[in-house]
Amino acid sequence: MLDTVREIETPEGIALRLRAAGALPRAQAWMVDMLLRMGVFMLAMIPLSLFGMGGNGLAMLLLFALTWAYSVVCEVWLGGQTLGKRALGLRVVNADGTPVTWLPSVVRNLLRVVDVLPGVYGVGLVSTLIDPYARRLGDIVAGTMVIHAIELPAGQQVPTLAAVPLPVVLVADEQAALVEFAERSGQLTLQRQEELANLLTPLTGRNDSAAVRQLIGHANWLLGRP
Amino acid sequence: MELERISVVLRPRAPREALDLGAAMLRANALAVWSAWFAFTLPVFVVCNALGVLLGLPWLGLVLMWWLKPLFDRLPLYVLSRAVFDRPPSWRETLRGQRQWSWRSTLAALSWLRVDSNRALRLPMELLEGAPRKLRSARWKVLRRRIVADTSLLTYGCLQFELVLFLSAWLLGAMLIPHEWRADSLGDFFRHDVRDASTTWMLLAAAVAYLAMSAIEPLYVACGFALYLNRRTQLEAWDIDLAFRRMHTRLQALGKVLGILLVCAWSLAGHAATSAQAPSKPTAASLQQVFRQPADGADQRFATAATETYRDPRFGGEHTTRKWVFKYAPKPAPNASPIPFPAFGNALAIIFKALMWLLLIVASASLLRFAWRWRGRLTPAPVEPMSTLSPSMRVSVVADAPLPADLAAAARALWQAQHQREALALLYRGCVEQTARLLKLPPSADATEADWLRQAAAIDDPAHAQRVIAIVRTWQFAAYAGRYPDDAGIEQLLRGWPVEAGAPA
Repeated sequence: MLDTVREIETPEGIALRLRAAGALPRAQAWMVDMLLRMGVFMLAMIPLSLFGMGGNGLAMLLLFALTWAYSVVCEVWLGGQTLGKRALGLRVVNADGTPVTWLPSVVRNLLRVVDVLPGVYGVGLVSTLIDPYARRLGDIVAGTMVIHAIELPAGQQVPTLAAVPLPVVLVADEQAALVEFAERSGQLTLQRQEELANLLTPLTGRNDSAAVRQLIGHANWLLGRP
Repeated sequence: MELERISVVLRPRAPREALDLGAAMLRANALAVWSAWFAFTLPVFVVCNALGVLLGLPWLGLVLMWWLKPLFDRLPLYVLSRAVFDRPPSWRETLRGQRQWSWRSTLAALSWLRVDSNRALRLPMELLEGAPRKLRSARWKVLRRRIVADTSLLTYGCLQFELVLFLSAWLLGAMLIPHEWRADSLGDFFRHDVRDASTTWMLLAAAVAYLAMSAIEPLYVACGFALYLNRRTQLEAWDIDLAFRRMHTRLQALGKVLGILLVCAWSLAGHAATSAQAPSKPTAASLQQVFRQPADGADQRFATAATETYRDPRFGGEHTTRKWVFKYAPKPAPNASPIPFPAFGNALAIIFKALMWLLLIVASASLLRFAWRWRGRLTPAPVEPMSTLSPSMRVSVVADAPLPADLAAAARALWQAQHQREALALLYRGCVEQTARLLKLPPSADATEADWLRQAAAIDDPAHAQRVIAIVRTWQFAAYAGRYPDDAGIEQLLRGWPVEAGAPA
């Protein structure tokens, strides 16, 4: 089964799911960062240009900081997100899912020198397209990856109905599917709801809207409502 | 379409995440996609460029290849749609399969919809669903809602990627080919109008653009298809559908057992439904009834316990801090007249000068502090007293050398030469060997002191056992605590068994 998730199991048996971010969102995040930095630099150049050579020196320092320090500082102190990544809902983490620290952040940003080759991020692009977790060379060396940090699209509240106990014991996946059905039934058309509920006639023993109601009742029971 | 055979994980994803699924699908079916792609597009590329050269318009190949993109898009989509629900088709099957799909939408995409940022999403809808004309616009409205921004992002991003690959190829060539090997006409190619560029360069540009397009266009289609799948999953709850189907088969396998259970369940369900209206008849049907307390936050006992806990100073709460503050508010500085730029520059210069001095002071201070902290650590370590031992003596102490014939004399000599530890080590070794001999044990190098103390209990003669214990203990005190016996003590240990092997204890 194809997926973009990297699953890490902790010693306690908890599965952490890292949703790897691919080339397209990452390129857009970089673009946002680039525009922001260019804007800052140009705004700063307006007063600095009045000071001749000294101003030029300061401008160079600013450019250096924007090029090399910006990403590292943002990643370490703003929770792994530069402003562009924040706008696109991405985050840099270590490959084991822990927050990115100084050394990996510095390494992955220094290796932009390689990824930027031959001047337009060609190497980085090819690397992100080939790697299963869309890491560029800097990420591979530093042991980091970029993940989607935004919450998943969620359903609504489960509609409140009288709880109906389940006649058979269901495994955790099946229970989750029932609750998910109840949560997302509001987003489905009535026909589709009935179609889905009819699949579970062996469980409910009913059809159509009665089956839908009973499944939502089961979900209420699973959630512990009265 | 049989949903059970789908080979991707269906779950609700954010649209941007769905784009990445497209890249993963493409990676998994790369061979099938690109073999079909090149089998069809390579001849087209050759024909287009030949046409351009024959007509005397070398740029025509480049433009035509770009224009025909919607036509080429059908190939990756065919492969991926088959691969996701079945298995990847071979390139022959792909080319043959194009006849099944209508050409009307492709013609539209090639003419009035050529510049359309939603092509990637429109493609699967029109080719895979094939809905009649009237339904199509309504369908399109539902499908594109909420993901229009992401489709445009996809189009724009893929355009960018294609440009990046195109430029990368040229720049890489420029970096790697030595200057003297470069043709002069290359400069003209960039300097002059495109129409005046020489045919060779134009064809080369067309080839590079074709390669870049070949790399990115399947990605574009795959990402669009993934967006489509994700939207359908969202609209029609495909993931729930799959889970329910699996449940259906499992429940049917339970079969007749379930039938009986269901009869009971119905009665129970009816029971629960009535009990909800009449709470005077409690049945164990919900958490609240099982645990005899409300499931949500209305639990009084819990609330009081929680407030009690929060009152604990370790969990925050109120703090009283004391600090000094100015009693009189500082006077606002008198408004200086606007400083002309040179003066402001001077001020800036002074500030920076001060900062530099400060930096220097901090640097030298930290250097001094470093030197202070590490003082004395770099002096050479004192010479080991062991090295003063004469070679013959050292040999007798080392574990795998045979013991000296006169153990007592050797130990005594070491003791008197202030090598007390070595003397005791020798004594311990001698004692251990004698004990082993007495008990007829095989020699073992990894026996610890504790082992020997345990062995001592097995010696028949209690006097012998006591002597072994005394020697091992003495050695332990010396080895692990640095506590040595006095001369009289050592003399007593060196006399009699086990040092003098034949002597009584």
